[in-house]
Amino acid sequence: MKIRTMAGGLATAAVMTFGGFGYAAAQPGDFSTLPIDPNLITDSLAYNAAPAVFNPNGQPGVETVYTHRDGSRTITSTILVLPDPAAATAALDGARAGLAGTVANGKSQPAAVGSGGTILTGMSPDGSKSITVLSFGEGNTATTIEFAGAPKDPVPSDLVLELGRKQDTAIRDWQAA
Amino acid sequence: MRKIGMALAIVAVMSGPVATAQTAYAAQTSHDTNTYTQPAVPVGPKVTMLDCRGTTGDMGCGPGWFWRDGWRGWACYPC
Repeated sequence: MKIRTMAGGLATAAVMTFGGFGYAAAQPGDFSTLPIDPNLITDSLAYNAAPAVFNPNGQPGVETVYTHRDGSRTITSTILVLPDPAAATAALDGARAGLAGTVANGKSQPAAVGSGGTILTGMSPDGSKSITVLSFGEGNTATTIEFAGAPKDPVPSDLVLELGRKQDTAIRDWQAA
Repeated sequence: MRKIGMALAIVAVMSGPVATAQTAYAAQTSHDTNTYTQPAVPVGPKVTMLDCRGTTGDMGCGPGWFWRDGWRGWACYPC
């Protein structure tokens, strides 16, 4: 009886492991370690992180806002952890469509980050800020990183790519854990 | 009398080239073919603009770079 119970448990565990397609099994539900702190690529003290917001807008994931110490720049990282890659792609498409209303005169270009990486650059509708949004997918995750600064101080593209790639690597490591 | 004659002869010999030179100078002023070059004006300390402040930068950023607190924090940024 005991052996039968153990066998049943193993079978259940196997189903759970393989049923997750490698993604769900790697998600302990703690998203707090997912966002990459931009201070990793700055002078280490440039940004202050606000408390992470879990499940932003009712979607599973995490959102963290990093504000420059002088208050003139913000980096908002949003990572959604969805059931499968298809859902992540759909979420990315939805997010990009929504940016049309928040980024004026936006110019989009591909970015070598994750899957389907894209950089959108433009201004806020009122012209008070420069806005750059990097979006990319990685497995079942959909990530957007928004950089907002002064109109004449847009984020350098090399910083966007560097932070994006570090974020992508962190997501892959988290998925593999 | 002989001494007076010698003195007059010496004076005549010495004043000859001077009178000739004056005559030659007078001729040159009316037909000057020499080329005169404007002397160079002394130049004061010359400043070469190396970065936004005209120096090498507070932290030695070098030409075209500027030390400020930007997207990457305190670092050298292009002007």
